[in-house]
Amino acid sequence: MSTNSKPWYCGRWAVPATAVLAGVAYLVVGLVGGQRGFALGGFVTMLVVAAGYVLAGRYSETMKGLLDREDERINALDRDATVVMGGVLMVAILALGLIEIARGDDGSPYFELAAVGAVAYLGALLWMRWRR
Amino acid sequence: MKNEVRALRGDRGLSQADLGAALGVSRQTVNSIETGRYLPSLPLAITIARFFETTVEEVFDVDE
Repeated sequence: MSTNSKPWYCGRWAVPATAVLAGVAYLVVGLVGGQRGFALGGFVTMLVVAAGYVLAGRYSETMKGLLDREDERINALDRDATVVMGGVLMVAILALGLIEIARGDDGSPYFELAAVGAVAYLGALLWMRWRR
Repeated sequence: MKNEVRALRGDRGLSQADLGAALGVSRQTVNSIETGRYLPSLPLAITIARFFETTVEEVFDVDE
């Protein structure tokens, strides 16, 4: 009996690979935009982050669990931490939008970001309501 | 919720790491279950009960 259901995108190398892909994206957009410092700095930083994930996974049970996604408690910790992150991010975005309004601006791009968050939440809620 | 995981593990002379490896979870998770800080999912609770060749009710005190 499996104690967790691991989606196809949650393999052991998913997080390091995502970090490397983000680094490649930084490199490409930096070079396209003529910002070599950003391009190389971003690329190297994300390579270091990817290597850090892999190395930490050898010494930390929590990091290993975050990489291989096979421990339901660590998966739950990751999910709960993500919920906290989302909540803090929404509060920060709304606060920054209000500050922009108080300064006489139109609140952009913070209210657009808040709207994206609200739509994402409602979409996820409906999707999960339908699935579960 | 109280449980008998620590006692059952001790009876069999297993370490938390041994039990974690058998259940497919980390040593930290076994420790968290034993101390009651983490309540396992139903599939994991059943896996634990089957590992110790007993029932979920015998491992986990649902009335506590």
